[in-house]
Amino acid sequence: MEKQIRIYQCENSPDGILSAVFEAGISGYGHNYIKIQPLAPGYIYNIELFSEYIKVETSPEKAENVLKTIDSNISHEAYFFVMSALLSEDADRGNVIYQFVTYGFTIGRDITKALQLDCVSRIFAIKRSVHNEAHFYKEFLRFQEVKKTPPVLMAKMEPKNRVLTLVTSHFEDRFNAEYFIIYDKSYKEASFHSADGNCVIRILTKEEEEKIDSLLDNNEKYADLWKVFFESIAVEERENYKLQRGNLALHYRKYMTEFMDNN
Amino acid sequence: MVFELNAALSEKLHILSAAAKYDVACTSSGVSRKSKKGELGAAEAAGICHSFAADGRCVSLLKILFTNECIFNCKYCINRASNDVPRTSFTPDEICQLTMEFYRRNYIEGLFLSSGVMQSPDYTMELICESLRKLRLEYKFNGYVHCKAIPGASPELVEMAGWYADRMSVNLELPTEAGLKELAPNKTRKNILTPMRQIQAGVAESRAVLGMKGGNQSAYWYTQKRLGKSLPGSTRDFNITTDTDNNKITDKNISITTNTDIVLNSGGGVLAQWNRNDTSRGFVPAGQSTQMIIGATGESDYQILSVTEALYQRFDLKRVFYSAFVNVNNDSSLVVNGGQPPLHREHRLYQADWLLRYYGFTAGEILSESRPFFNTYLDPKCDWALGHMEYFPVEINTASYNTLLRVPGIGTKSAGRIVNARKTGRLDFASLKKMGVVLKRAIYFITCNGRMMYDFLKVEEDYITRNLVSGETDVVKGFGDSITYKQLTLFDDFQLGHI
Repeated sequence: MEKQIRIYQCENSPDGILSAVFEAGISGYGHNYIKIQPLAPGYIYNIELFSEYIKVETSPEKAENVLKTIDSNISHEAYFFVMSALLSEDADRGNVIYQFVTYGFTIGRDITKALQLDCVSRIFAIKRSVHNEAHFYKEFLRFQEVKKTPPVLMAKMEPKNRVLTLVTSHFEDRFNAEYFIIYDKSYKEASFHSADGNCVIRILTKEEEEKIDSLLDNNEKYADLWKVFFESIAVEERENYKLQRGNLALHYRKYMTEFMDNN
Repeated sequence: MVFELNAALSEKLHILSAAAKYDVACTSSGVSRKSKKGELGAAEAAGICHSFAADGRCVSLLKILFTNECIFNCKYCINRASNDVPRTSFTPDEICQLTMEFYRRNYIEGLFLSSGVMQSPDYTMELICESLRKLRLEYKFNGYVHCKAIPGASPELVEMAGWYADRMSVNLELPTEAGLKELAPNKTRKNILTPMRQIQAGVAESRAVLGMKGGNQSAYWYTQKRLGKSLPGSTRDFNITTDTDNNKITDKNISITTNTDIVLNSGGGVLAQWNRNDTSRGFVPAGQSTQMIIGATGESDYQILSVTEALYQRFDLKRVFYSAFVNVNNDSSLVVNGGQPPLHREHRLYQADWLLRYYGFTAGEILSESRPFFNTYLDPKCDWALGHMEYFPVEINTASYNTLLRVPGIGTKSAGRIVNARKTGRLDFASLKKMGVVLKRAIYFITCNGRMMYDFLKVEEDYITRNLVSGETDVVKGFGDSITYKQLTLFDDFQLGHI
């Protein structure tokens, strides 16, 4: 009889997935027969026949252990691949990370280059989509001054992946002397940066979300000036909306000053 | 002439950004700089686009003119002296405030400051310098600044601007001296090349003193180095390169020999203001660029590309930009392509430009005296490959990086991935697809483990041409309206007759 598939079900968080990788790894069951399934709230899955389901308790220590081992036994680049994939919301990322790590322990530091392997090209693609999205928000995030004294800047985004940390660290550097808040609507969390350089990221309450939304009205002098500039900088003779759409996808425009109507 | 001296800020911004929009060099790349405490801004080497305008072009910098008043009368320019357009100027403080406030809202990556020539080149350059000084020292702006050197401005002012700016550019405007004389009577080659040479020497000196902080090398430089060819800016004559004599620029019109007396000073001493400035950013750390107007005069693509190559090689430019001519003044004396900007030609020039800078092609390999125009239907790399079938097919599992780069459908990234991935095992066609190789084009030119992807593929020029053209999406994408659809005849349309 065919060996049964074992499905490790874990919490839908970086620590949850890494704990499952840990448990699956030490089980010695054989990586071809192991799947990792993060259970997002409201996630609906089909129960597969002839499979064994194992619930994994989230353990920050085990997660830490896995990451340390990857960093020291494979390479720092591999560690970076895994960390990036953990920010993704790809439903398959648990499996991909597990396969990648398993192969990584055999192949060693060259694993990150071995794109001909399915798990490597998959994790590479996931990593790339996470960083691409973070990069797009570095480009397209728009701040509004919501308070004058002291001046506070606020921005809102709705990303697919959990890129708030990546985006925040970019602005932490260039806006080091500013108070700013970046609100991530998808994950209901926000980063708060103060002019002295302190920065925290935390989950928001319902009231806080409403407060932030009420402050963002896209109605200020410089927003209007920016729209004037944006209109007049385009060359009519070269008008090309298809190219514009290719470079700046519609879903990013939702919170972009130049594409929003004034209230 | 209408002067609107007290135009509201928004009106000024409207006029002076519309007047600057035909400038194409709006990149924010070339320098990586962390923030400074208490200052606003940083810079990323790859540059950051912040929006895309209705023409699909990126908006990275606040691209404005200081003033659109101009004493020059260049035929192609909307701001020429003889045009009756509303004229206005910013004040240095207005420019600083706009830059700071736009930057804080993440609208822009920095400032791009150009200008019409008000009163005299020196007067204008002084105003530019004053704006940049204020922006850096009073407003504490640490983001990206691109500024123009006004042809004819004195070297002291050009240098001063260079200490504040990240990138500078002097527009070559037209590929040939004759064209310049005809269309921009107030500008001369000498006036353009002198500041260009000065900036080049300044960058070299700053780099020698400050190392990488003084600015990194260009993509062209790295490519030449990888291939062991003569490096840009080296004192060796351009005509004596290691490659074939294809490089020779014989046409007197297009040769870029500076008859100026500027000597490339290798021992330093070009920069006179080391002590007067904050030199922590370096002098023009992101290097310099230039731009040419395409299609206003009658140059061939080969002439344009040769000039480009000479600019990279002799002036160590970071980028050369091409601007499809838009006949804003409806001047009937200018060559125009049915009234439409020659966008497709511009596109081909950029493709060829990438081949020069990243792929190690020479202008003479891409085009020649006898074949001076780009193929409309095939991109320059495919066109080259079809003329050199003796190099193909290439075996993916053994070919060198430089050989892989010559294959249509394989770019710098995928070639790098192939070379790295081969270390851990053999590659097949499925894995190539994952690495980003465009198989649609590559399959005619490569083998994996000694086999082509399909047995029926023929390594034969006519066969491949036919297939590439039928799948060539550039034609379908519709670059401009100038493409006519007609029955193809290989020898006439593809200029393959003499290969």
